[in-house]
Amino acid sequence: MFSLLFGLWKYLFAKAEYHVLILGIDKAGKTTLLEKVKAIYSDLEALPPERIVPTVGLNIGRVDAHKCKLIFWDLGGQLGLRSIWEKYYEEAHAVLYVVDAACQSRFEDVKNALARVMQHVELDGAPILVLANKQDLPGAISAEDMSRTLDMIDVNDRPCLVKAACAYDGSGVRDGVLWLVEAMKKSQRSEKLKQRAESAIQF
Amino acid sequence: MGILFTKLFANLFGDREARILVLGLDNAGKTTILYRLQVGEVVSTIPTIGFNVETVAYKNIKFQVWDLGGQTSIRPYWRCYFPNTQAVIYVVDSSDTDRMSIAKEEFHAILQEEELKDAVILVYANKQDLPGALDDAAVSEGLSLHMIKNRQWAIFKTSAIKGEGLFEGLDWLSDTLKQRGR
Repeated sequence: MFSLLFGLWKYLFAKAEYHVLILGIDKAGKTTLLEKVKAIYSDLEALPPERIVPTVGLNIGRVDAHKCKLIFWDLGGQLGLRSIWEKYYEEAHAVLYVVDAACQSRFEDVKNALARVMQHVELDGAPILVLANKQDLPGAISAEDMSRTLDMIDVNDRPCLVKAACAYDGSGVRDGVLWLVEAMKKSQRSEKLKQRAESAIQF
Repeated sequence: MGILFTKLFANLFGDREARILVLGLDNAGKTTILYRLQVGEVVSTIPTIGFNVETVAYKNIKFQVWDLGGQTSIRPYWRCYFPNTQAVIYVVDSSDTDRMSIAKEEFHAILQEEELKDAVILVYANKQDLPGALDDAAVSEGLSLHMIKNRQWAIFKTSAIKGEGLFEGLDWLSDTLKQRGR
């Protein structure tokens, strides 16, 4: 009886759990962003950016934010390691794509990598937030210019937002996460993933 | 109470200590790596029956590194060393493509271990000096590293003979363990 009630209580009040993939080419600031997110939503201090080394694998951040449990998967962005990205697509609810907005010489690479992410069938319908990061640097382009550069103007099949941010000082980060949470709550993909998880438990 | 203070002092002022297991199939290069880290040079090794253990001090962390023999018959004994382990270094012979699937099976069996569920995972794609060695992406693929979704992992290309990549891996490990210790 108790377990029944407990189960019911858990069912009613359990926080939704979402997986967010942090992607982007190397040196975009993905891990710095992850550290900032962890610092904003928990009482942990962020690892200072100068101590962050290039990721060659997976970093994980678990935070409670906006009444949800968020699990961030931060994957390395070096060219050789990008083949690992797609292995995480199936279980991801949304993508946070980080771009160094001040590094114009690599925009072509950024654009191609993003196009591949958006076209991938296993990310069907997943909300994508593009962060035009490093706004503290001179020469960083605005969110409008970024969405033009990346050809993100006509995206109808999924919630999409390009946003200016700075993982270094944290500006724009909380708003970005809030947008992601709202988008994931409304997204049909979240519903699909939930159903799949439930049927996996049954069988 | 006394223990509490001792722990507090150790945390604030002392070097941290971490127990690291070096695992992998036989002939992956575990012992060569251990001594490369410990004495900084290549020592000639024989297949390990049992274990080698050395302490490597690096960046304020004392790594107690256990190198366990990798032959099939002694792999079941690895389990005796699992409790209180903060990290596992899994060593793969990147040129041994024939046994990559066995390396993968052993690796995933280790991941399943209850006593290692909090250990961070560092993979050394070793023997990069040999012709035909797979690169880091191919070894990740071969080991299905992507199936790890609930803990941190990293992979480094290493050559124990040339001494390449080993300390980059330890850098990652010390940063990761410090972060967790907070």
